[in-house]
Amino acid sequence: MGLVIGIDTGGTFTDMVVFDPATGRIESLKTSSTPSSPGRAIANALDESGVPAADISTFTHGTTVGTNALIERTGCKVAFVTTQGFEDMPFIQRINRKVLYDLRWRKPEPLVASRRLCLGLDERLDASGSEIRPVDEAEVRELCQAIRESGAEAVAVCLLFSYVGTEHEERVKQIFAEELPGLPVSVSHEVAPIWREYERSSTTIADAYLRPLLGRYVRSLDAALRDAGMTGDWTLMKSNGGAMLAAAAADAPIQTVMSGPAGGMTATQHVAEALGEPNVLSLDMGGTSADVGILVEGRQRHTTEYEIEWGLPAAVPLIDIKSVGAGGGSIAWVDAGGFLRVGPRSAGAEPGPICYGRGGTEVTVTDANLLLGRVNPDYFLAGRMRLDASSVTEAMEAVGEPMGLDALELAASIVEIANENMASAIKMVSLERGHDPRRFAMLAFGGAGPLHAAAVARLLGVPKVIVPQYPGVFSALGLLLADIRVDKVWTQAFRSNDVDAPLVNRQFDRITERAIGDLRQEGHSGEPEVRRAINMRYFGQNYEHEVEIEAGELDEAALERAFRRFDALHAERYGYAIDGEVIELVSFKVTVIGRRAPLDLSRVDGATELPRSSRQVYVRGQGFVDATVVHRSSLEPGEAIAGPAVIEEEGSTVYLEPGMVVERGAVGSLVIETGVEA
Amino acid sequence: MTSPVIDQVALTVVDNYLTSCCRDMGVTMMTTAYSPIFNESLDFSCVIFDPAGNMLAQAEFCPSQIGTIKFTVDWTIEELGLDAFEEGDVVLHNDPYRGSGHVPEHMLLKGVFWEGELVAFVANVAHMSEVGAKTPGGLSGDATEIYQEGLLLPPVKIKRRGEDIEDVWKIILANHRTPRVTLGDFRAMMGSLDLAEKRLHRLIADHGLQFVQTAASDLMAIAERRMRAEIEEIPDGVYTFEDAIEDDGITDHDYPMKLTLTVAGGEIIADFTGSAPQAVGPVNAIYAVTASAIYNAFLHLTDPTIPRNEGCYRPFTIIAPPGTIVNCSFPAPVAGGNTETSPRITDMVFGALQHAIPDRVAAACGGTSSPFLFGGTDPRTGEPYAHFHFEGVGWGGRRGLDGNNMVVTINGNCRNTPVEVFETRYPAFRIESYRLVGDSGGPGEFRGGLGGERIFTVTVPEVTVSALLNRMKTEPWGVLGGGAGAVGGLWVRRGGASEWRTFVEEFGTMSPSKFSGVTLRDGDQVKILMPGGGGYGDPSRRDRALVRRDVEDGFVSEQAARTVYGLEDGA
Repeated sequence: MGLVIGIDTGGTFTDMVVFDPATGRIESLKTSSTPSSPGRAIANALDESGVPAADISTFTHGTTVGTNALIERTGCKVAFVTTQGFEDMPFIQRINRKVLYDLRWRKPEPLVASRRLCLGLDERLDASGSEIRPVDEAEVRELCQAIRESGAEAVAVCLLFSYVGTEHEERVKQIFAEELPGLPVSVSHEVAPIWREYERSSTTIADAYLRPLLGRYVRSLDAALRDAGMTGDWTLMKSNGGAMLAAAAADAPIQTVMSGPAGGMTATQHVAEALGEPNVLSLDMGGTSADVGILVEGRQRHTTEYEIEWGLPAAVPLIDIKSVGAGGGSIAWVDAGGFLRVGPRSAGAEPGPICYGRGGTEVTVTDANLLLGRVNPDYFLAGRMRLDASSVTEAMEAVGEPMGLDALELAASIVEIANENMASAIKMVSLERGHDPRRFAMLAFGGAGPLHAAAVARLLGVPKVIVPQYPGVFSALGLLLADIRVDKVWTQAFRSNDVDAPLVNRQFDRITERAIGDLRQEGHSGEPEVRRAINMRYFGQNYEHEVEIEAGELDEAALERAFRRFDALHAERYGYAIDGEVIELVSFKVTVIGRRAPLDLSRVDGATELPRSSRQVYVRGQGFVDATVVHRSSLEPGEAIAGPAVIEEEGSTVYLEPGMVVERGAVGSLVIETGVEA
Repeated sequence: MTSPVIDQVALTVVDNYLTSCCRDMGVTMMTTAYSPIFNESLDFSCVIFDPAGNMLAQAEFCPSQIGTIKFTVDWTIEELGLDAFEEGDVVLHNDPYRGSGHVPEHMLLKGVFWEGELVAFVANVAHMSEVGAKTPGGLSGDATEIYQEGLLLPPVKIKRRGEDIEDVWKIILANHRTPRVTLGDFRAMMGSLDLAEKRLHRLIADHGLQFVQTAASDLMAIAERRMRAEIEEIPDGVYTFEDAIEDDGITDHDYPMKLTLTVAGGEIIADFTGSAPQAVGPVNAIYAVTASAIYNAFLHLTDPTIPRNEGCYRPFTIIAPPGTIVNCSFPAPVAGGNTETSPRITDMVFGALQHAIPDRVAAACGGTSSPFLFGGTDPRTGEPYAHFHFEGVGWGGRRGLDGNNMVVTINGNCRNTPVEVFETRYPAFRIESYRLVGDSGGPGEFRGGLGGERIFTVTVPEVTVSALLNRMKTEPWGVLGGGAGAVGGLWVRRGGASEWRTFVEEFGTMSPSKFSGVTLRDGDQVKILMPGGGGYGDPSRRDRALVRRDVEDGFVSEQAARTVYGLEDGA
């Protein structure tokens, strides 16, 4: 078996992990991202690592190509096709506004090319999916002619009620394939089979918007890998934490919007399992943002709530991860009211923080950490990049002066605000869903995660912080572990007192079969794991919750047990259940998971002899104090280091506050006891 | 001693916590409520108060409700007394003559206790879809007294020490046409209060009561200071503006409103002396609605990052003579005061200040919620249904920016109901189209946003409809040389007819825009036209490239481009 590699391209850094199954050895490296041409950073990483492409047996990639194109609006020219009378749907949206009391607010611009390219078809289904007016084939063909002449590069089709009756969209898709072969067509019941036409169309438009771009990206990267001698297939990480063949991902690009963070959550789950920690909060802090997630009883939370920007939803399955603009590169600024704020704007890779010396002039979190002595200017990226504090102090003073703060106090405040922002995000994924963070362990990774995690944990009352091996490239490590995962949904409403159980069983079987078929196409040949769920709500409610369904034939007793689980879930989330109320079953979901061959990542190299030292770190209220500085690899098992301390390694730095203690844990991890009372 | 920045950090944390607490009450409402007016339209607001009735925090809800709820809470505290509140009590209240915005707006209020002491109130005010008025959904456009607008509830307890007071529930549910939905919605409201109570407990447990109270009072002081500083940026002076409500559903004449704004020394006096006497029909604003509309205007004209609490309101004095359309006397009907008169008052402030602060104002928005109510019995199931349907409007142009197309009017922040949800929940109609209307945006250097059009077809044997629209005659005006946006409209086409007619022509209603209880039958069609926003600045100064793009995209017709914008052929 050849090498298994994962490459994760972030906004600031591109991370690579190489695993050799023969030896259990893991190599990793970090290189600057190249946002203008993302493939270049991958080539650079391969070059730097010296890995011969011909030796690669498995390659999984996490990318921000799709996300960035959405944010920067560099996707393609999309034509939108819908039911006649509703062509303005992308412009009308939901008619509410993001902020109150702001006369300068601008409604989000849709991703469609123009209003002229929003086209209607004279067809219609009713709410039950029954046909009111059929598709007029001649009309569709005429429309194709118009689209051909318009120069549109992709088409998004979203007809009313297609989530319950798919025939009209299927027919339109077929005619498009005949008339406009080669033109990417995204069809709403395939992209996002959900009710609410605006949300479904917005998702479909976003998918079409990315098709040519992601197609080009995948093809050019594929060519480069082939040229270099790689022979096998490679996969892209999806937002739901599963991998899919790169060629297939190019046809469903909206599935990749949270590709990178999904890698981090996958690795989190793996390490949590290895450590026997069922309840884990993850904190992934990189250069641009911090992503936080949660594992409850070892399970990730999944959702379909994602927004490209406020008001432009992309309702695709994704691991529930909250992103906040709190990364090392996040910029500190003062708002109109004199309040100090940090982020969401980031200095990114170029120009980066002031201390990178690449022309950055705005004060960032990394600059603050450097000034406070928490980051070693001579050991950033293991010394491959030297940080320069000389112009940082002056810039800090300029920002702090109006508030009467000197450079150090400002730096401490910047770190505190970034920590507060991360703590709030963690509360959103924990407390606000009924999980008390004090009963969780925190897993910290990303280049900056371990630097801030102990303080964030203290704010939340989290007793234990775990820093896994390879924290700086942890998301890339997750890519090695990604299973192949396919979700399928069937939509049909039933009331709990009138469920057509035989039909439900048949449909569950049908979508399970289709999902397994997709899994086979994506190259998985083993026995898949199948999970089934029903989305339910009390009859009258419009928002549903996923209730897991046991395996086997779904009979009356099994349904009854599912309804009671829904009651319990409602009570847990909202504080009440409604006894005896009719429950509405809205949609039926199957997830099949093709497990990858397990990788043994437990190899831990023995401790190395490296000198201990100390340096001054700034602690609010105490000024500069002596902190122990240790290289991670020299930490002996059983040895405890008390804070204040700094544990350095390639790609990341752990900072330990006074009063905290760190020890070496299982599978090479570091375990910090924060000393807060759980 | 902590340094000043730590104090600011702590304040930011508390402000964010309270705001996100309000937001999460909203999420609970959305996900658990039964009526689309709650779970799709989000016509509700969640707010936190201190025991003195000072508003501590709000979130992105409906400005008219947020402004009004402080009066509702004040009245409740005044009428019941603080001693009446025990832990676990919930008070319900919707009476406009006791500070509610209009009858459908139901407020639930719960005291939050800490170690036996009342330390805060959490409140949720929401527009119930059915209120037992003379016609389904309330907002009866031809009501002549408050009693026709629905079941009035003075502040009454519906829960005592955590237990439902069944007798009160029975009265309410017996008076609403859709009791199942009413109960589901009340449960959602109560769930949101319980959530907020838990959140406040956690905040106090984490930081201590003293700290939270000090932070709250500091945040109000900051808001007040910043609001005064913002007002000081407006040149001192006396500014006036007039507009009118076009009819009241009973009598066909204008009800002028006159606003005199005095800006001096960081304070505002808004004086409505000279406005029309109160109307017979339901377009009257109670004082709380008028005050709320003024707050709404100035919150729109000032820095959006000011903490949104009671402190913002302190620099304002509002004078509204009793017995007028802006401060009506009992028992005048008030339903449309909250939906129609309120946005008009807010826009009037922008009109008055257009020359004083031209960079900050906008032209008038479409200024109507286009309330269209309907109800009946589902022929498939025999279940009763009722719905308050509303629409967006075009917003006014502002310096440097065109107005937004189709956004809910300035007194609300509700969402539309998706066609797929609407037709699933309400068997009465099929929606044939929902689109923007070209040329409806007022011409200007910065064009007004476009209004829209929706056409419904009745698909049941019969359905009862009511309406309470405005801006069908009086145009949404432009500012600083900009033109007016297009007016709205309401039309009907009886089964098979080819011509659209007004409800006056077809059914003999007194007003084309305000009526109640009209029966439509299978195959009849209704068309709602939504007004556009006013333009900003002289249209001849509009960038020619933008005019051409507007023509290409159908936002402006070729003819209007030539005649109104002076676009020359080939230019």
